[in-house]
Amino acid sequence: MEKIIELKNLTKNYGDQQVLRGINLDIYQNEFLTLLGPSGCGKTTTLRIIAGFEEPSGGQVLFDGVDVSKVPAYKREVNTVFQKYSLFPHMNVFENVAFGLRIKKVDESFITTRVNRMLQMVGLADFGPRDVNLLSGGQQQRVAIARALVNEPKVLLLDEPLGALDAKLRRDMQVELKKMQQEVGITFIFVTHDQEEALTMSDTVVVINEGTIQQIGRPIDIYNEPENRFVAGFIGESNIIDGIMKKDLLVHFDGVDFECVDKGFPENEPVEVVLRPEDIDIVKPEDGKLTGQVTSVTFKGVHYNVMVKTKYRDYMINTTDYWEVGTPVGLTLTPDDIHVMWKTPY
Amino acid sequence: MNKGNGFWAKLYVVLCFAFFYLPIGVTIFFSFNSSKSLSHFTGFSMRWYEALLKNNDIVQAVYVSVTIAVIATIVSTILGTITAIGLSSTGRVLKDAILTMNDIPILNPDIVTAISWMLLFSSLGFSKGYWTMLLAHIGFCTPFVITSVYPKVRSLDPNLANAAMDLGATPFQAMIKVILPAIKTGIYAGVLLSFTMSFDDFVISYFVTGNGVKNISIIVYNMTKRINPIINALSTIVILVIVVILIVVFATPRIRAKKAAAERKMEKELEEEGALPPSGGVKKHRRLGAGFVIALLGVVLVAGSYSAAKKSASAAGKKQQLRVYNAGEYIDMDLLGRFEEEYGCTVVYETFDSNEMLYTKLLAGDQYDILIPSDYMIERLIKEDYLQPIDWSLISNKDSLNPDVMDKEYDPGNVYSVPYFYGSVGILYDKTLVDKADLSEGWNILMDQKYKGNLYMYDSERDSFMVALKALGYSMNTTDEDQIRQAYDWLIRQRKTMKPIYAGDDVIDNMVSGNKAMAVVYSGDGALIMSENENMDFFEPEQGTNIWYDAMVITKDCQNTELAHDFIDFMLQQDVGEQNTEYIGYTSPVTGVYKKMSQTMFKGIDAYQPRSGYAKDEVFRYQTQDVKKLYAQLWTKVKAQ
Amino acid sequence: MKHYKKLTIPYIVWCAIFIIIPILLIVLYAFTSGGNSVKTLNFTLSNLAKINEHTYVMVFLKSLELGVITTFICFAAGYPLAYIISRAPEGAQDMLIMAVTIPTWINMLLRTYAWMNLLSDNGIINSLLGLLGIDPVHMMYTDFSVMIGMICNFMPFMIIPIHTSLRKMDRSLIEAAMDLGANPLQTFRRVIFKLSIPGVINGVVMVFLMAISSFVIPKLLGGGQYVLIGNLIESQFISIGDWNFGSAISLILAIIILLAMRLMKKIDLKEAEER
Repeated sequence: MEKIIELKNLTKNYGDQQVLRGINLDIYQNEFLTLLGPSGCGKTTTLRIIAGFEEPSGGQVLFDGVDVSKVPAYKREVNTVFQKYSLFPHMNVFENVAFGLRIKKVDESFITTRVNRMLQMVGLADFGPRDVNLLSGGQQQRVAIARALVNEPKVLLLDEPLGALDAKLRRDMQVELKKMQQEVGITFIFVTHDQEEALTMSDTVVVINEGTIQQIGRPIDIYNEPENRFVAGFIGESNIIDGIMKKDLLVHFDGVDFECVDKGFPENEPVEVVLRPEDIDIVKPEDGKLTGQVTSVTFKGVHYNVMVKTKYRDYMINTTDYWEVGTPVGLTLTPDDIHVMWKTPY
Repeated sequence: MNKGNGFWAKLYVVLCFAFFYLPIGVTIFFSFNSSKSLSHFTGFSMRWYEALLKNNDIVQAVYVSVTIAVIATIVSTILGTITAIGLSSTGRVLKDAILTMNDIPILNPDIVTAISWMLLFSSLGFSKGYWTMLLAHIGFCTPFVITSVYPKVRSLDPNLANAAMDLGATPFQAMIKVILPAIKTGIYAGVLLSFTMSFDDFVISYFVTGNGVKNISIIVYNMTKRINPIINALSTIVILVIVVILIVVFATPRIRAKKAAAERKMEKELEEEGALPPSGGVKKHRRLGAGFVIALLGVVLVAGSYSAAKKSASAAGKKQQLRVYNAGEYIDMDLLGRFEEEYGCTVVYETFDSNEMLYTKLLAGDQYDILIPSDYMIERLIKEDYLQPIDWSLISNKDSLNPDVMDKEYDPGNVYSVPYFYGSVGILYDKTLVDKADLSEGWNILMDQKYKGNLYMYDSERDSFMVALKALGYSMNTTDEDQIRQAYDWLIRQRKTMKPIYAGDDVIDNMVSGNKAMAVVYSGDGALIMSENENMDFFEPEQGTNIWYDAMVITKDCQNTELAHDFIDFMLQQDVGEQNTEYIGYTSPVTGVYKKMSQTMFKGIDAYQPRSGYAKDEVFRYQTQDVKKLYAQLWTKVKAQ
Repeated sequence: MKHYKKLTIPYIVWCAIFIIIPILLIVLYAFTSGGNSVKTLNFTLSNLAKINEHTYVMVFLKSLELGVITTFICFAAGYPLAYIISRAPEGAQDMLIMAVTIPTWINMLLRTYAWMNLLSDNGIINSLLGLLGIDPVHMMYTDFSVMIGMICNFMPFMIIPIHTSLRKMDRSLIEAAMDLGANPLQTFRRVIFKLSIPGVINGVVMVFLMAISSFVIPKLLGGGQYVLIGNLIESQFISIGDWNFGSAISLILAIIILLAMRLMKKIDLKEAEER
């Protein structure tokens, strides 16, 4: 795969406030890349710098190896789907979609066919003459996507486009967006604060916090092997425990030694251990490496969320078995279930 | 909540609207009156509209009002709109500063804004006229455009322009194609507000204009002193214009919406047959809008080239120009038209309320060719070197002048001035209401409690003090501060005990209708009133009075002395003098005219002949700056009492 | 929309020339003597001190009194009209408000001139009274005529903002008040009126501002002896030619307006807090 965009040591300040503190990122052709992070982390700013709406305070944006930091938005080969769609309220659906082509002074008959084809693709074939202000959120969303894609950009930027939709529609759109991306075969850069959305759609997830990239990786890697406490905490629920790496493949926490699959740490290095709630097994007290008592059970549909109080802490465990509150239980872990991380300052 | 209102509520609404629309209705109704009366409808006629069209001054004023309104609207709409758009991306501090500055002309009283600009233009040394008026109109329209456009800009999706640029539009294209259409309702509101405010403005125009440039409001203000049904005709036209604009603005969107809906329906049908791309409707609208803008620009261009052509013509010397500054209602306007025709020139005609106003205008740097002030002002202007001598060899009618009115103290030998009219000041009284015996009181009849609340004084600084000084037995030219203060006390006492009304020229119509028992008037006005109301009589007290002379003078910075002399000569012609005297009613200094008029129109009316041979009668003399200031101050206080 | 930042530059320059400098000029003239061309700057407080003379104080007081009375009448007569209009069906409301607005778009001078014809001693009203056998009533050149002219011209500016605030009021609030046991009068006093206060304040400020500074209406309908602040300023600039004193009066007038607006804003805030 070929690199299409490179961000090199990108920084951005608003007055005294440092929003981006050196972002380095390579984006490849045909990739569905998600910038994930809590609000105010700098992900939207990064997107707006790529689009050309903001100028970076420092660093470079390269498109196909050429620095475009000073190129205005209207000359970049990227298009954007805005958070609130930003449809032109005085134009109908057709005119909204045709806007970019009209600016390029493309032949009228070509515009008609292209726009209609695009509207068909997003499932709004007959909506051309409709007033955009009277469309539902989902329909507006589709118009915004069609309006951007009709220009055949090399990269499509999407700024939390599903934020305003209800849960059901949101899930449908996630699937559809992924399908569209595969269909048009271009790079999508998607910004969201919703980790589930990021994991569902992306080829690559970039986790950002406080203006710094925390981790870049495939969704599965991000989930299973978070590089630090922030990523572990932000992606899914987990039990994060202080421990000591006694030696390769052996970690000690809560007074017990556990075998693990991690290595390469110095001996007796203080580390953090991530235990996903669904990876912990509840067994009889006598079979467990740790023991405790069930303090609460909540039904979550597919599974139960069980809280177990041990001598050191409360463990959160997801299991399909039902356990009575007050039952003494034991907990076991297989080496695969234990993920050891370097200790991070926060 | 039940909607709708009961009977009393409806009645109340009707009464309120009757109150609002009464003046408008009355104006329209009486504009079609066949007689001059503003209270009795004598029959339908269009004569006032005809008179209106013939009145060059009014036509010119309409032209000024319309062009200034159109240009000021266009400029302030553009300036206000781009500013409003710019504000949306401006930092908080600067934005607040701009909006605060923008509020100043809106919140400040008009009169304060007006004088602040008057001071500005004077300080910059701008010659006041069309351009200063236009700048001022742009100045007060723009803030209103910003206040109507900015909220629309603020409520826009902040990413709208970004979205357009993202799709390849340049910032300019994004503004034209996306921002402007999205805020158009705000822009329309701004256009409407600008146009109506500029078109209707009086206060600001009044203070910043000069050199004879008048809009409709100023001309109406100058005409209100006398009954003049032409104003009603003008009002009716103005009302019509505004109503038509409102109908266009408010009815068109509805009609257009209906039409668009119909079009859309049709398009849909055509589209289903595959005949038309769905964008047709939008394009048509765009064409409509473009057509409108082009039409508007066309109007402005035609108007602009018209005035430019006029200017260049006068610059090329084809049409000379004469700037005349005269008291209000002090010439038959038809004569100006006749002069223009005969001499192939244009007369820029402007009027003043009082000699003091004339002096202030000159002081402020306004320029004229011919002035028609009174004796004492002429003396001042001569002393302060504002005038140039008359070349009597150019005045062919000089021998027709009555030698009795020549060579007076204000201008010995008539080096600088040619008499225009002359007369005295006296008391006009209603013979049926005033006891003849009381006349022996002289000026002090104006203090007689019998006539409390039943008299008009003349709203003029020097004439009022003259009355008081003469009543006290002093000279009206006294420079003794004590005597002047006594006169002031006399006026204050009169104001308090007699409740007089200080009237201007409106006294003529009021006395013709016999509204009050007595009025201090100029002899000429007295003669005119007596010719229309035989109950009236005129007397000049034994204590002496003011014999006054108004005369034509040529200014130092006159640009066309030959034409100025032609004008003076023209005014001395027998037929011109007759026509003017008939209109104004004053005593002509032209012997032939005087003789003719005292045989015809003013036969048997003694007021037409100002008395002579009274030792106590005086002519106003030049006042030193200190005395003048004292007068002005005391007079302000009398009026403000 | 950072691209449009520069668009404000022309107006900033404009404001500096046409708003800031002229105001500074008024201040400069108000604090100097030395005639109408500023060649010599003699700083003085005498212009402002002169306003303290009894006559001028009386002019200010009279203007204030007339302004307050006019504003009050406009409010007392305008509020019911605004309220009635706000209860009319939607379509009718637009028409009625339009009808209130139209006169304000027609030259004030022309409407005032029409009142001269109506009110004068031998005018239309008196000739109608004459037909009924009633003796002519003297109306012209009195407080009455000036006030009629002002009210007719300014009342729409009271009605429109009040109507706007009444119209956008949430109907369910009134229903809620009724539901909670308030009778119509209580509902009006405690809910409707309170919520319309911003509109009232807007209207009051506008009418007061216009009433206190007008010079055309008192001049045409009040006659030469009727001097309000506006007339005083006009005479200083147009006939007497004492620009220094005229500027001083204007400055005071601007300050009065500013204070009145501050006061109204305070009332508005206080009301908002109570709410």
